[in-house]
Amino acid sequence: MSIVLLSILKSLALIILLLTGFAYLTYYERKLLARFHVRRGPNRAGPFGLLQPIADAVKAIFKEEIVPGHVDKLIYIVAPALSLIPALVIFAVIPIAPDLRLGGFTLQFHVADINVGLLYLAAIASVATYGIILGGWSSNNNYALLGSLRTAAQMISYELPFGLLLAAIILTTNIGREAGTLSLIEILNQPRPWWLWLWLWLAFPMFFITMLAESNRSPFDLPETENELIAGFQVEYGGIKFALFFMAEYISMITGSAIMATLFFGGWRGPFADPGTWYGPIVGFGWFFLKVVALLFVYIWVRASVPRIRYDQLLQFCWKVLTPLSIGYLVLTALIVVFVG
Amino acid sequence: MTSADYLPILILILIAAPFAGIAILLPSVLGPKNPNRMKQEAIESGMIPFADARRRFPVQYYMVAVLFIIFDIEVIFLFPWAVSLNQLKIFGLIEMGVFLGILLIGYLYVWKKGAFEWE
Amino acid sequence: MTDPIAAVRSAFPDAVRASAVYRQTPILTLQAADLLAVGRFLRDTPELGYDLLSDLTVVDRLRLPQAQDEARFAGIYQLRSVARGGDLLQLTVPLPGGDAPVAPSVTGLWPTADWHEREAFDLFGVRYEGHPDLRRILMPDDWPTHPLRKDQPLGGERVPYTNTWAEEEFQHLGKQIMQTDQRPEPVPGRMDARHMIVNMGPQHPATHGVLRLIVELDGERIIGIQPDIGYLHSGFEKQGENIRYKDFVYYTDRMDYVSAMQNNLAYCLAVEKLLGIEAPPRAQAIRVIVCELQRIASHLVWLATHTLDVGGTGLALLMYAFREREEILDLFEMVCGARLTTSYLRVGGVSHDLPPAFIPRLRDLLARLPGRFDEYERMLSGSPLWRGRLMGIGKITAAQAIAWGVTGPLLRGAGVPYDLRKAQPYCGYEQYDFSIPVQSEGDSYARYLVRMAEMRQSLRIIQQAVDALPAGHFWIDDPKIAPPARGLLDQSMEALIHHFKLFTEGFRPPPGQAYHGIEASKGEMGVFLVSDGSAHPYRCRVRTPSFVNLQVTELMAKGHLFSDLVTVIGTIDIVLGDVDR
Repeated sequence: MSIVLLSILKSLALIILLLTGFAYLTYYERKLLARFHVRRGPNRAGPFGLLQPIADAVKAIFKEEIVPGHVDKLIYIVAPALSLIPALVIFAVIPIAPDLRLGGFTLQFHVADINVGLLYLAAIASVATYGIILGGWSSNNNYALLGSLRTAAQMISYELPFGLLLAAIILTTNIGREAGTLSLIEILNQPRPWWLWLWLWLAFPMFFITMLAESNRSPFDLPETENELIAGFQVEYGGIKFALFFMAEYISMITGSAIMATLFFGGWRGPFADPGTWYGPIVGFGWFFLKVVALLFVYIWVRASVPRIRYDQLLQFCWKVLTPLSIGYLVLTALIVVFVG
Repeated sequence: MTSADYLPILILILIAAPFAGIAILLPSVLGPKNPNRMKQEAIESGMIPFADARRRFPVQYYMVAVLFIIFDIEVIFLFPWAVSLNQLKIFGLIEMGVFLGILLIGYLYVWKKGAFEWE
Repeated sequence: MTDPIAAVRSAFPDAVRASAVYRQTPILTLQAADLLAVGRFLRDTPELGYDLLSDLTVVDRLRLPQAQDEARFAGIYQLRSVARGGDLLQLTVPLPGGDAPVAPSVTGLWPTADWHEREAFDLFGVRYEGHPDLRRILMPDDWPTHPLRKDQPLGGERVPYTNTWAEEEFQHLGKQIMQTDQRPEPVPGRMDARHMIVNMGPQHPATHGVLRLIVELDGERIIGIQPDIGYLHSGFEKQGENIRYKDFVYYTDRMDYVSAMQNNLAYCLAVEKLLGIEAPPRAQAIRVIVCELQRIASHLVWLATHTLDVGGTGLALLMYAFREREEILDLFEMVCGARLTTSYLRVGGVSHDLPPAFIPRLRDLLARLPGRFDEYERMLSGSPLWRGRLMGIGKITAAQAIAWGVTGPLLRGAGVPYDLRKAQPYCGYEQYDFSIPVQSEGDSYARYLVRMAEMRQSLRIIQQAVDALPAGHFWIDDPKIAPPARGLLDQSMEALIHHFKLFTEGFRPPPGQAYHGIEASKGEMGVFLVSDGSAHPYRCRVRTPSFVNLQVTELMAKGHLFSDLVTVIGTIDIVLGDVDR
């Protein structure tokens, strides 16, 4: 019973954390982009514009709900939720701080520790595609349809290098241990020799590109290209339903950064983030937070400096460059694991 | 490790889903309601669309999906192999080499056939 | 140089009705029946080589006392020879048919005539025989009249649109302009309804305004494009024919509203040609300075919007380019108080002298801009994504470009070193040392390079003009054309009378006709004026580069992907005010 109660509390806390994170990620992005653009960014609502996300949320809620006459009503309404729920749920297996031990009680800072954590990430990430595809298709709009077709092709294409790189990372968990693992918590606890860190960082740029493509971020924001498809799959959406799509994209940015922080940069690990101590979780979460924010900065930096790729170039880059590279990386990792590790 | 490990995820889904549902329903309670025909038209740069958008898709999108299915299943097989490579050692390496080799031939064939070109 | 009049007279003794040379421009009056034969001769004879149809328009001579023949309408063709440095030849063709004029279509000789002839059909009702697709172009399809005919009054016509605000459904709304009973139009005839046919525009972020493209798509591939323009048509030419010469300067600002100075210049030079005057040297130099600044500003807007089109809203270069443009607009504000619609140039000069603080500030900007341009090029030129999006996209060959009348950076990007500032110098451009940037590839990347290089050349020109800025009057010293200085009005009765006459009556150029084209930032901007001796232009025609260049959209984008259409529109660099006028 207590595990159910604890899970409910943790789930609520996680959702609140992610939604706050989303709200302030929009602020962070707008402020940062503004700095890149030599502008000021939001600065009217509250001090430094800090209340801007709240104002936006209130506005979205009080918007008139428009369900166009030509759409497939049920799917049209359900699609934004289908897009958001996976984005919220995917975070369940990511540890955000070291365990807290109070007396005999241990509090773990992740919702679920399942032994197929990485498989879970890959699976839920694929489910997120449905919301976008269904949203675009149900809109019965040419631009939305093009957007959703692009999404389908883009997101599934990039799942291939994503999966290959994940497999390579799983391979490295064999090193210094009896067997490999799929659990993010155990990956974090695995001691990595220095050369393994370097080898992993070699894969980071590739992994980052697949994460950009998976979360439809610039320069891979083809499903919603504002310049040709106006807003792509979400062109017929307004108000809160649009906000849910928006939320899904931004939360998947956060999740992507969290996954990369955990796999490549040691998650919550850092000086003074000692498990078991009273201050460990606070410092650990601090490190985790900083790493995620730093990675989010890169997302936004890329958006401000790189032109958008074209659709055929995107697919060709995936199939002709990224996939062979990932396979090569996987094979080399396997060799390293067997002969060095 | 039992199925009880998955209980928290179920609980998370059960909490996240109503949240999304409430968010979608909220504006229909709180927002103004002034529907009219113009608002409910499809948005196509301010013009009435020529035809319904749902039509036959071009085959290229389908090609990508088929390619994905072929190669993504390969990745699924990689996961258990990757976890247990320490036990399998050289044998596993050779096994996977054969498996990947076969797929690689298919990959090169598909490349040569021009399936990766957007045509 | 071969004399075109003599050449045509000897080859077609019966075709030429009259010939003249007015203000250095040879004018040939031809029979309509011989137009195609003479046109082919003019285009294909190597010594003549009139391969560029700069402008095609019509004059309704219903109220023109100087008309020498009985035909009411006359077609006007401005031909240039690119190979011979843009030599101008005007053909005047009286059109048979009285009130329902008919003309042979020259689209077979110069494809660029396509839209010009549609415009003439739209605004004058001239029926062009042999035109592939003679429809209205600027006015709505159901417009009842041909507005530029002289028997159509300015204003007062019934607008054949009914607003539906009376409908109850709309009572609580603001101003709804769209009709509630709109039904989808039929699919354009040459498009296959099985393909996806999408409206891109008029409300679309990539069309740079109210341009509408009907795009036929097979998946992502573009099969066909049909541009639909005229949403911003505001009858500038009609307006110009109903106000005094000097009052039209303010209207020209609103055509290509990102290069107002150059529009002013084209118009002022045409009026000056008609008057047979020339602005004083200081005014010429000031004109060169502001027009080259305007070229940089216009190219910066192009660069910003092009990166926006290709790269998305996040791209920082958008704001960088606008930051520099703001500094140029600050300079404009210093000289005339306005930033966008400057109306700074006047017939016979400019409206104010440069303020003392202008030159130091300009020099400061000149010193900083090259570094900024370097920064842009570092951000874009080598970027693989930028090159991937631009290279090979929107290709056009030199021959195609000339045949379609395309000018400006598009023509130079296709390898033709043709620039009216060099070919037909005006405002003393012959004194300045600058080069014409040319790239031979003819794709979007070539045009990007050309425009970037042009900004640097403009800086060179400005530098030279500032260094050698002559002293003297900034406006012609002729009280019949330029108003007397403000101080004189208090002392001299004569000045007061001149001032009064000028502002109540304006000036009256002698009867005649003049076409003047300048190298605006987007291509040849030409103004054709017919004077009947009164204070209003009898015919005021503006040849805008965007209108002509936009014609090649389909040629450039066909076969590319949908995303490339955005690149193509961006690389043509249109301003809808300039297209629709």
